[in-house]
Amino acid sequence: MTGTPSSLLEVDMEVERRQVTVAAAFTLQAGERLAIFGTSGAGKTTILESIAGLVQLTSGKVRVDGKLVAGRLKGERALEPRHRQVALVRQPTTLFPHLTVEQNVAYGIRRSPARGQISDLLDRLGLTTLARARGAALSGGQRQRVALGRALASPFRVLLLDEPLSAVDLAARQELRQLTIEASLDRNAAGILVTHDLTEAQAFSDQLGIIDDGRLLQLGGAHEVVLFPRSRRVAELVGYGGFVPVPSAVDSLFAIHPDRVVPGAAPQRGVVLTGTVLSTRPFGPRYECTVCERSGERFAVHVDAPPAVGTECTLTALDPPVVAP
Amino acid sequence: MRTTTPAGNLAASGVVPGFPSAGRIVARGSTALALLGALIIWLALLGPFAVLIQHLSFHSIRAALGPPGALDPLWTSLGASAVALGAMVLLGTPLAYLLARGRLPLARIVELGILLPLMMPPLVIGLLLIFLIGPDGTLGNLLADIHLTGVNTFFALIVAEFYEAAPFYVLGAHAAFASVDPRIEQDATLLGDRPLQAFRRITLPLAAPGLATGLATAWARAMGAFGAVVIIAYYPRGLPNQIFIAFQEFSLPGALPFALLLVVAALPLPVLAYLWSARTRSRVAGAEAP
Repeated sequence: MTGTPSSLLEVDMEVERRQVTVAAAFTLQAGERLAIFGTSGAGKTTILESIAGLVQLTSGKVRVDGKLVAGRLKGERALEPRHRQVALVRQPTTLFPHLTVEQNVAYGIRRSPARGQISDLLDRLGLTTLARARGAALSGGQRQRVALGRALASPFRVLLLDEPLSAVDLAARQELRQLTIEASLDRNAAGILVTHDLTEAQAFSDQLGIIDDGRLLQLGGAHEVVLFPRSRRVAELVGYGGFVPVPSAVDSLFAIHPDRVVPGAAPQRGVVLTGTVLSTRPFGPRYECTVCERSGERFAVHVDAPPAVGTECTLTALDPPVVAP
Repeated sequence: MRTTTPAGNLAASGVVPGFPSAGRIVARGSTALALLGALIIWLALLGPFAVLIQHLSFHSIRAALGPPGALDPLWTSLGASAVALGAMVLLGTPLAYLLARGRLPLARIVELGILLPLMMPPLVIGLLLIFLIGPDGTLGNLLADIHLTGVNTFFALIVAEFYEAAPFYVLGAHAAFASVDPRIEQDATLLGDRPLQAFRRITLPLAAPGLATGLATAWARAMGAFGAVVIIAYYPRGLPNQIFIAFQEFSLPGALPFALLLVVAALPLPVLAYLWSARTRSRVAGAEAP
């Protein structure tokens, strides 16, 4: 994601909000997909709306295909919204309530012969039987499907998705995600998903950005960011629940991820920890145990068989990243 | 198998089988009171209409409205109100939209300006309009240059009706536009619409029920405008003036036929607009397309 003249999307923006200043700088090539992951109120939606040119930037600029979409530059005017080729799916969804599902999905298509495409798209979205229904008659998940379909049917070069599948049932998510990725690749477009669901973020994108308090803290490969968080805050956000002092180094902590711990001592695979089991509880098909390490730090681990509460246990944290306190 | 009633839970919820709770009695009582209040208000509002019908006979209507020229005030009122309404739509719609979207500088002052004619007694508006557009008024001289006179003309009638009715339309339109989420307008432009296209395809259909209600209210108000009209446009005689004059000359029986005419002429549009608005709102909120 290094900036090159051929970048499809160039973002270098700052927006002042009441409680937080949102800033982000990155570029995306055609065909790349980025997920921005962070807590609610971190500034994810502001970044999407800024890229769509719907928010006045305090400073910086956004370019799509080299053309200015947001920001103020001398001698250069931002493109009108209709020429931006940016499709946006909002959260909460914003359908055209007076139009039917079919009319909503077809709204961005300017040429008439695309009827066949629309019915194919409605079919893949699972909306064929609802084609003549209006927005008010739809459930939250159905509304999200319509909003997604409307965006995918439009001639976009940049696809912006704000929690687009949060209300869709799990069984349908995989299919809709696949549909979104295919549509994005077909158009050789850049895609950005913002979400507070890490698995959704990784499933959609090849790049992952972690945002907190308006700042993009880390940007990198979708798996790499989770395995190698650069700071304690990033580690916390991507699920590391414990921080154990590194014995040989001052001001350094091993970040312990509950799913990257195995029972027993395996020093060749990572760092061996010993501690006392404080509690256990079911966690999906596994168990979550809270362990108090010898240093006094507590962390959670996910295991297949729960040890008895109060017993000593030995665990290996698999190649834990080292972060500053 | 024997089942037991969780008596503790029932006691905690305050419900004892067979005995309505105090809360339920109060709720039933207040519902009955509300229904009674609604009925009284409805009857009170409908009362004048009932009295109007009760005191009119076919003979008195024919005697009042039959002579040649008797319907002239009706055509005058209809014409002036239609022109005033057109001006309101033309000038008031963009104003209401910009106000609703917060795109006007000094919006609060503009809003106050719109509210002012509502807060002022219509008679006072009439008096002030004489100073403004009368022969010796500030704008009167300018109007004279284009051969318009601001007193006792059809133009004066339109102006007086406009002053009395326009705030109703602008405020109604403002509320109608404010009810349309600006984000869906943005979505429409991102999907390829020009701003005017988005307005026509999205904003206008969604605001239409509210706009229709505002327009209907303004129409009824314009048709019935009297306070400012009697000062600035005694002639040409519109229906409200005709009612006033008939009342002075022939007392109640002479005025009532014209009152009926005004009601018949002014009411259908608001009633139709209300029915259409209600149907459109329920269609948008409902399930299937027609």
